Amino acid sequence: MSVAIIGVSTTKFGELWGTSPRALAREAVFGAMKDARIAPKEIQALFVGNMLSGILGGQEHLGAFFSEELGLRVPAFRIEGACASGGLALHSAVGSILSGQHETVVVLGIEKMTDHKPEDVAAALMAAGSQEERSSGATFPGLYAFLARAHMEAFGTTVQDLAVVAVKNHFHASLNTNAQFRNTITKEQVLASSKIADPLRLLDCSPVSDGAAALIITSNRRQATGNRRSVTIAASAVATDTLGLAQRESLLELKATKKSSKEAYRQAGVDPGDIDVAEVHDCFTIAEILAIEDLGFAGKGKAAAELERGEYTLNKAKKLVVNPSGGLKGCGHPVGATGVKQVVELVEQLRMDAGDRQVIGVRVGLAHNVGGSGATAVVHILKRA
Amino acid sequence: MLSPVKIWRNQKKIAGLAGKTGRIISWTIVRVPPNGFADQAPYPVAVVELDGGKRIMAQLVDWEDRHVAFGQKVVTTIRRITQPNTEGVIPYGIKVKPI
Repeated sequence: MSVAIIGVSTTKFGELWGTSPRALAREAVFGAMKDARIAPKEIQALFVGNMLSGILGGQEHLGAFFSEELGLRVPAFRIEGACASGGLALHSAVGSILSGQHETVVVLGIEKMTDHKPEDVAAALMAAGSQEERSSGATFPGLYAFLARAHMEAFGTTVQDLAVVAVKNHFHASLNTNAQFRNTITKEQVLASSKIADPLRLLDCSPVSDGAAALIITSNRRQATGNRRSVTIAASAVATDTLGLAQRESLLELKATKKSSKEAYRQAGVDPGDIDVAEVHDCFTIAEILAIEDLGFAGKGKAAAELERGEYTLNKAKKLVVNPSGGLKGCGHPVGATGVKQVVELVEQLRMDAGDRQVIGVRVGLAHNVGGSGATAVVHILKRA
Repeated sequence: MLSPVKIWRNQKKIAGLAGKTGRIISWTIVRVPPNGFADQAPYPVAVVELDGGKRIMAQLVDWEDRHVAFGQKVVTTIRRITQPNTEGVIPYGIKVKPI
């Protein structure tokens, strides 16, 4: 049995002061249903990826909350895995289909962050870390700063190398009408932006964002083959590591990324070299460098030089483009929505529907979604049906 | 967020963690702090490998610029972690200082 994605949609990402979570969910889910050309009565379950609604908004029980709002009245689940909540929701939905429990389900990733004060958001995000990390006064930029500092010490990576990632992803986002940031930036601007957690500066960090994204997935062959735009989920894999960063075997890699991608490549029967387009979890610039290495696209310590040469940049890359959507940095990072949005982007790329940011000749795409500082990693591989 | 009971339960463990030596294996300086740490920022936080191999993350105190470096030797010490919360219970925990 195979699982196909037959409908996708994403809202605009950004500071959406005038839009409620309910409105975001309706726009994303009804958009995906329209794209799939199916009626609400064909949906058998709802999987919601969200991290912060309880801690920031005081609203839990999101399965029933969004099921009511969408008029679905179906079995509904909220899946939480920090910033990997969206990817985990898709993984859980795929599992429910492969088990035979459901045939056609909707996956909604959603987050509303800008209603709240930045220091409250920063503290809430640290709920994804360990108590030791919270007591140390570390922030999320701080956790990735440890990884950046260790990478610099081991491989000679520089702050200029980090800036290259932000410049590329803003360029890609400038071509994406749903992105939070449509402006291109320069390396000099990144290096002149304010320090957040040394060596990371403001423009090394993904923003605080609102947004939602949705997918309709099915094992129904009539629905999948009747829809010429459907895309096959060739792999769905999850791995976990220690919650706290300090307890990891190495600060030079995210082992959960390596484990989940190894399993995903096995399931899909492909190698890293077969991937034409990848959406990776660049919550901070160093995270994209680590992802490119840990997913096997570049050797350890080699990603920065390849990024500098434009090897992962749209219209320059020869083997694969990384983060054509603009990534978390450029497109925005509503944490629960990100893992679903990555897959929406891949589906649009594989359908050759991505407009100005279309990668040429794409057949296989990979989405990489990380929770916390690498305690959870989710990898999906998609192929043209 | 921190209940007095949780502070009481955790503080029973803390005494045994003090006075251990190790060295810094990565570090940052937090300039935009989370709630409760505003009066301390900017401050360094380090990943420390203690003698024996256990790794911890802790704030660096009593520091000068030269101490914020790979390989710097440190010792764990008991300090106030954040401002007391509304219950008035002061949360103590482990920080590290250069030696």
